[in-house]
Amino acid sequence: MPLIIKKNSEPFFRDERKRNRDCCSLLEGLADPDPTTRRWAARDCIDCLGAAAALVGRLKVEQDISVREVIFTTLTRMGDPLAVAGLVAFLRSEDPALRNEAIEAMKQLPDEMAPILRNLLADADPDVRIFAVNILESLRHPQVEAWLLAVIDNDLHINVCSTAVDLLCEVGTEAALEPLARLKARFADEPYIQFATALALARIGQA
Amino acid sequence: MKRILIVDDAATVRLYHRNILESAGYTVEEAINGIEALEKSLLKPFDLYLVDVNMPKLDGYAFLQRLRGKDMSQAPAIMVSTEAAPHDQTAAYRAGANCYLVKPVRPEQLLVHVQILLGEICS
Repeated sequence: MPLIIKKNSEPFFRDERKRNRDCCSLLEGLADPDPTTRRWAARDCIDCLGAAAALVGRLKVEQDISVREVIFTTLTRMGDPLAVAGLVAFLRSEDPALRNEAIEAMKQLPDEMAPILRNLLADADPDVRIFAVNILESLRHPQVEAWLLAVIDNDLHINVCSTAVDLLCEVGTEAALEPLARLKARFADEPYIQFATALALARIGQA
Repeated sequence: MKRILIVDDAATVRLYHRNILESAGYTVEEAINGIEALEKSLLKPFDLYLVDVNMPKLDGYAFLQRLRGKDMSQAPAIMVSTEAAPHDQTAAYRAGANCYLVKPVRPEQLLVHVQILLGEICS
């Protein structure tokens, strides 16, 4: 029997926009009670003046995960200084979900994040420095290893150094051998640093 | 043999905790985020959870809230985090943690908390 492909009358991707697509309507749509409207507004407002600030403001109160995802995608597609500054500000949020989503978004912006990362890695708050190291995790940028080596040579906070060593286990090259040995000596009484540096040294040695 | 699920996105941290727990005779499984941990919890029960806070896809607080909220497991949970502020600890306990440890965790510190929560020694 021949295979008959039945034509589906429903379009594969339904356009569920309920508002006009002018910027004023779109920015208002970010606060609409209906999450579908908010999602479309977040997607379509990318070229609107003031959209970055509006999206960042919406993220602070948005509870719907699918809307949050679209907002982060739009901010990442924008990638302009306002959007990036908005994402960076979420590193200080006490909401771990928001923080982690911002980190994942920033990982997609290597060129935009590079000039900012040096400052983040020197931030007074060790948590922000840890999150900055997290951003480096999949940031495809040639300076990543150099930044990590500067962290393990200079940062006084053990958890910032630990996070950097975790990443050096994956991306470290021969250039990391001496800094790792120095870190191991600097935190000689810390079992985790001893374990992680030994692992990183062994992996880089094998490579 | 008691079964422990380590939930952490950092591979080195998972290996470090696994080595400590296995050397004490526990059976260990790993999950790299809260979603994977929920999936593993649906398949088989664990006696204890060792959960990081900051993870992509589903963080430690959200994982514990879902684990407890859906009544999938009331097994004890130790939350481990780099964050030492009191509000972080409060958030962990509100989410359903039984204990909060600040990273880096020393082997003896981890084991004593595991043994207390599993009822193997008195607190």
